[in-house]
Amino acid sequence: MPHRLGPMQILPSPMKKFAADECVDYCIVGVGSAGGVLIQRLARAGLRVVGLEAGPFWDTEKDWVSDEKGSHELYWNDLRITGGTHPLALGANNSGKGVGGGSVHWAAFAPRFHPSDFRVYTEDGVGADWPISYWDLKPYYELLEREIPVAGPAWFPWGDPHGHPYGPHPLGGVGDVLVRGCTKLGIRSVAGGPVAILSASHGDRPHCIYRGFCLQGCKVGAKASTLITHVPDAITHGAEIRAHSMASRISLREDGRVDGVVYFDREGKEHFQRARAVIVSGYAIETPRLLLNSACPGHRHGLANSSGTLGKYLMAQAGNVVAGRFEELIRLYKAPPAHALSEEFYETDPRRGFARGFAVQTVGPLPVAFAKQMTAAMGAWGWGMRRVMMDYNHWATLGVLGEILPWEDNRVELADEKDQHGLPVAKVTFNLHDNDKKLIEFGKNKVMEIMWAAGAKQVVQESRFAHLVGAVRMGSDPSMSVVDKFGRTHDIPNLFVCDGSILPTQGSANPGLTIQALAARTADYLIQQGDATFFSNRRDLTEPGIRYDLSPPYTRFKGNPRIA
Amino acid sequence: MTRKSFPSHATGGELRDLEQPGYYGGFSTVSQKKSWEQATRNVVTDRIEKVPPIRFFSQDDAALLGAVIDRVMPQDDRSVERMIPILPVLDERLFKNSISGFRYEDMPSDQEAYQLGLKAIEEMARERFREPFVNLTVHRQELILKSIHDGQPDPANAVWEKMPIHRFWAMLMEDCVTAYYSHPWAWDEIGFGGPAYPRGYMRLENGLPEPWEKDEQRYEWNAPVDSLSQLEEQDAPPEHQSLHGHGGSH
Ligand SMILES: Cc1cc2nc3c(=O)[nH]c(=O)nc-3n(C[C@H](O)[C@H](O)[C@H](O)COP(=O)(O)OP(=O)(O)OC[C@H]3O[C@@H](n4cnc5c(N)ncnc54)[C@H](O)[C@@H]3O)c2cc1C
Ligand code: SF4
Repeated sequence: MPHRLGPMQILPSPMKKFAADECVDYCIVGVGSAGGVLIQRLARAGLRVVGLEAGPFWDTEKDWVSDEKGSHELYWNDLRITGGTHPLALGANNSGKGVGGGSVHWAAFAPRFHPSDFRVYTEDGVGADWPISYWDLKPYYELLEREIPVAGPAWFPWGDPHGHPYGPHPLGGVGDVLVRGCTKLGIRSVAGGPVAILSASHGDRPHCIYRGFCLQGCKVGAKASTLITHVPDAITHGAEIRAHSMASRISLREDGRVDGVVYFDREGKEHFQRARAVIVSGYAIETPRLLLNSACPGHRHGLANSSGTLGKYLMAQAGNVVAGRFEELIRLYKAPPAHALSEEFYETDPRRGFARGFAVQTVGPLPVAFAKQMTAAMGAWGWGMRRVMMDYNHWATLGVLGEILPWEDNRVELADEKDQHGLPVAKVTFNLHDNDKKLIEFGKNKVMEIMWAAGAKQVVQESRFAHLVGAVRMGSDPSMSVVDKFGRTHDIPNLFVCDGSILPTQGSANPGLTIQALAARTADYLIQQGDATFFSNRRDLTEPGIRYDLSPPYTRFKGNPRIA
Repeated sequence: MTRKSFPSHATGGELRDLEQPGYYGGFSTVSQKKSWEQATRNVVTDRIEKVPPIRFFSQDDAALLGAVIDRVMPQDDRSVERMIPILPVLDERLFKNSISGFRYEDMPSDQEAYQLGLKAIEEMARERFREPFVNLTVHRQELILKSIHDGQPDPANAVWEKMPIHRFWAMLMEDCVTAYYSHPWAWDEIGFGGPAYPRGYMRLENGLPEPWEKDEQRYEWNAPVDSLSQLEEQDAPPEHQSLHGHGGSH
């Protein structure tokens, strides 16, 4: 049986296999949102790349189901410890395991960051500035919007206004509620996107069938994940992706350069992959964990941690869910959970008494997720739970997506507990600070107001958090950050980090598109640097220039519409 | 598995035995299974047909937890052959030590948390009513559980000084709702359309049913009027931020 990636898509075969002792150009740890894009670009440019992925290489027809409970395996379920004043739920709430990583179970909201997100410190005196500007990333946003591709409104009015290459989706019941509530209050909203979900078929991928199981992995192939957007092209161009390969340590040579990655295979057997350079793309928890676990003489406190900031400035976004019960039926399980939003409250407004802002987005919990939310939001149990669930089809749910600033005490460290390989697991500490609390309070109340305005008869809410990023942040000052603006560690010239963990701040846009845009840019940089990365200690900080010829198939002749 | 407690231990009126509670009489998700693809069909059919044996809990603990589950996720209105298995699903999770990817630093492991929680519940029953929890009337069982739900255990118990009571409660509730609302009979009850690949949904707006779905037919609520687990309008618990194992949203 061929390895299927959707009803029409088949994984190219055979896949290249490097010999056990062969030294490759790049070893990438983690083939998720960022890793998938990186490996595709590098392979297309003719480099020899191996991707080590801790989880399975999904066959979407065999492994994925249209079922909440049956999708447990998509997530990173191995032990992590969580604490602090506001401990984050991890697992299903945050990260994936398997080729495609978090892009397998993301809701696929794909908004860009605003230009102001890159200058938070300059504009608001809080958080941090990025070492790059929005305008450096803009061409990559446009390119990724065509590659994955993104469907949405012709005119997206916030931040740097833009349009989308694929048309917006029809609205579901929850989107109706968002648009109706916002309109009543004079708040602008957009409908039908931006989401990385096909509104028309694209190459060998069919369009959305509105079945609402996006968070369980899209069997249809309509929702983008790097498993189906970039990985097939990587394989076609000679990359090897080794599934069930858990990196345990990056190995450092005496001359201060890394020379490969130690990893465990499925049977727990240890291997060493030699590489001329290493890129870590393991997510905002596993990336710092791997660097901390790679401590060695000269790097006592973790690899590339001379600044002491490794693991620090971890961020999440406030993700409060507001649920409203309506007289009429909504049936919130239909249509993708992600399909309408407003960024009207995104920017700092001094009258509100806190810096930065939030977005309002549709969410679409299926029955199990919704029942859990009712445990928290209403204290429902027993007959009360049965009763509220019998009204499942009368509820609509909207999410706050609020910016939480980077704070030094929010961090990833190593715990005393060990995993099945004997490696210390990650300990995540998360505390809310004053600005965060004010922002959440305001955002939650605003979304409740929208829900009432839409005509809800009852409105409740649940506090939660989403989207971990940071902890290996990029910056121009080596004493305040771990990597430079291209993801190269300040300390080790051939060790790179490229994933959500390098974000200095995260605005109130979902981070996935930005993470992939950054990955494409880092890849262009590495390709342009050529062999220098492997041998030279010189740090060239000039922009590489965007490579439009490295996109996966079906990207050409797609365009971002003109809006002015 | 599940013990029927009404009307024999009833504290309220008699319940009608329903093959399918809820407002969608005659709606059956499983009847649509020929239009689901194979992998999903297998997973959902197994859930109905293959109930796992009890392997983690001792016989006594299983009886105790079964009685707790009967109150936190009651099914007395369901006819016996339409009861949804909850205890076996939870037992299997703990037996396989299948966790949701994390542990709160102030919590013991999931396995230990259940063992401690059960010990506390049993001690609370004996101290307050001088009887094992399983022998208590429904009302008395609910009194104990409601005090845990409210975060004010009555009587106090040493276990809750070590283990945060709201986290234990959240984990118990999440395990129960996961087993119940992942079962196709519960989907029928709440009118959830269920798996929809490759067919998909086409009526997205105005809450309209697909041709194979049913419209809602509301009727008088069939639940004991004096149960302590009825919803109270202002019943939101104090905020404890993230819950035990809740899934992501956006
Ligand atoms: C329910 C949910 C909904 C979401 N919805 C959205 C949304 O609508 N829009 C949006 O933009 N974002 C969304 N996100 C967030 C998004 O999924 C993540 O931000 C994004 O995937 C992170 O990308 P990454 O490259 O940093 O890591 P990932 O995509 O998580 O990839 C990391 C990969 O590395 C592997 N790995 C880790 N450690 C090792 C190791 N030691 N050895 C080998 N492999 C390893 C992991 O298995 C994983 O596959 C959502 C997240 C969740 C949980
Ligand atoms: S709603 Fe659309 S994108 Fe989401 S899982 Fe279904 S087909 Fe895929």
